[in-house]
Amino acid sequence: MRSIDIHAHVTPQSYLKAMREARAWHGVEPEPLDIEPQLEWTPEQRIKDMNSLGVDIQVASTGAQFYYYGRDGQEIAAMHRECNDEVHQMTVDHPDRFKGLAQIPMQDVDLAIAELDRCVNQLGMVGAMIDDKVNGKTFDEPEFLPLWKAAEQMGAVFLIHQGGGTLVAPRTRKYHLPNTIGNLVDRAVTFASFVMGGVMDACPDLKICLAHGGGYACYGVGRMDRSWDVGRLPQMPQPPSAYLSRFYYDCLTHSESALRMLIDMAGIDRVVFGTDWPFDMQIDWPVSWVLSLESLTQEEKEAILWKNMEKLLGVTGD
Amino acid sequence: MRSIDIHAHLTPQCFIRAMRENREWHGVKPGEMGIGPRNSWTPEQRIDDMNSLGVDVHVVSTFSFYYYYERDPQVIMPMHRECNDEVYQMTVDYPDRFKGMAIIPMQDVKLAIGELDRCVNTMGFVGAMIDDHVNGKTYDDPEFLPLWKAAEEMGAVMLVHQQGGRTLVLDRNPNYHLHNTIGNLVDRAVTFASFVFGGVMDACPDLRVCLCHGGGYTCFGAGRMDRGWQVRPEARVNISNPPSSYLNKFYYDCLTHSEPALRMLIDTVGIDKVIFGTDWPADMAIDWPVSWILGLESLTLDEKEAILYKNLENLLGI
Repeated sequence: MRSIDIHAHVTPQSYLKAMREARAWHGVEPEPLDIEPQLEWTPEQRIKDMNSLGVDIQVASTGAQFYYYGRDGQEIAAMHRECNDEVHQMTVDHPDRFKGLAQIPMQDVDLAIAELDRCVNQLGMVGAMIDDKVNGKTFDEPEFLPLWKAAEQMGAVFLIHQGGGTLVAPRTRKYHLPNTIGNLVDRAVTFASFVMGGVMDACPDLKICLAHGGGYACYGVGRMDRSWDVGRLPQMPQPPSAYLSRFYYDCLTHSESALRMLIDMAGIDRVVFGTDWPFDMQIDWPVSWVLSLESLTQEEKEAILWKNMEKLLGVTGD
Repeated sequence: MRSIDIHAHLTPQCFIRAMRENREWHGVKPGEMGIGPRNSWTPEQRIDDMNSLGVDVHVVSTFSFYYYYERDPQVIMPMHRECNDEVYQMTVDYPDRFKGMAIIPMQDVKLAIGELDRCVNTMGFVGAMIDDHVNGKTYDDPEFLPLWKAAEEMGAVMLVHQQGGRTLVLDRNPNYHLHNTIGNLVDRAVTFASFVFGGVMDACPDLRVCLCHGGGYTCFGAGRMDRGWQVRPEARVNISNPPSSYLNKFYYDCLTHSEPALRMLIDTVGIDKVIFGTDWPADMAIDWPVSWILGLESLTLDEKEAILYKNLENLLGI
């Protein structure tokens, strides 16, 4: 049994070093480090933890706090290059333990395409992690279409993962709800933006993985279909639910019944292993959790833990 | 087989008359609000339609457009009183076909309690329909506690239903009807969370809250709320049990537009908590709702009867 985790984060050592030395870093002023201790770990310490969890490979992504889409594109492109070079080095030093997901400056689509190209075609990364929105714009905006086309061409995977405030925050910031409800609704809106905005029709081979099990996308698709039934989505040739199986989803549902429903609605070949390492909202003992689920067959568990990811990434098992 | 619909709306004839006569109505100017064809039907025309749908009883609620929580309560109070009097007259004229659900001025909790009391204790209403928030305040705000206590005392049902168009999703993407198809469902999940994490359900153990649209994303997303409760102190300030343990303290209508979603709702909250609700006469209503329930292959006949009338008869004591 192998396992490949598509949802595992990195805090760049270059950032940590700058903060410890009270130096500015690509426009980020020195700030006190207030992060999970594991985020300061070296790749070697990380591998020890992966071993204890039974995780073979992490597809490492620089954390969402480093999106910085609201800042100058050139300055952040340089930051993202440094982040990506560091993740690349992890994959070079430990090629059987790490794959890379890039950070790309979404505030400038040309720069984003160039960095994605560098990361995928020169550094061998599998794709990029991006937010649900870019300075208020959703991904149905035509300005992003060249990026989707370029990614489709490269075979790159986009992992969609919120950064900063979610849709829940304007109503309440209490009880951790901006995360526990907000992440999930943001993902549903992103699903809808890609689907109803025609992106999935324009880019039939685009690979999108929606983190947190795609949030509420699968459970709530019936109501989206109803709006299609009554003529409120005249631009769409098929109902939204027909597109569920066009996306990938990580298994981070924190609920067996929700994961079962996701599998039944999106298809078992669309659900991949993702844990949110090392944050407090991650799955504890994630391999054990998947293996212990009574409503999943052994084949389904293997598909989630590594087989689907191997196909998606074009890697072969040992 | 009987059927009682808890989610059926009314555009008051008193409002329609004023608009047709080009008169201002409680501060609403002529032309401020449009009226759809089915919305202007008389009670007799409504009964004809109910007969064709196989619906025995409508629990009639004045449309959410008339909440007007942001306006002067001294102006809105008489509006709500007039709406409620009209619903009351329907229940007097057709006691076998209509029950009443009040509209109350939530911007002034004392007035809201007064009107709820009048409607429930003087006119035999079953409760009141309210928004998911009051001018941005959620229901964990202590100012609402006297209302919940009063409703609990009266045995009144609070039916929670967003104000059309103004949900959390609107800020992100105003297209594709998402403010409704995703927005209604996330607003309901935030309302569940506000009642639960805010300690209202502990303070008022007999409070009856019915969450429209199947409670939105609540049941599917409860796993992540539980995880938040496990790892975040701010999620535990008011409650000592995980949020999922409160799922069966609420009622939910069956308006999921999805059989697997309804099945999951039943399995998660219990069959005794799911009741018939159709959203008559909106375009997002269930078409032929009784036939839809009766046609669901994953529900037993007992479950169908519980949803269509038995649970509501128990809840309303009829």
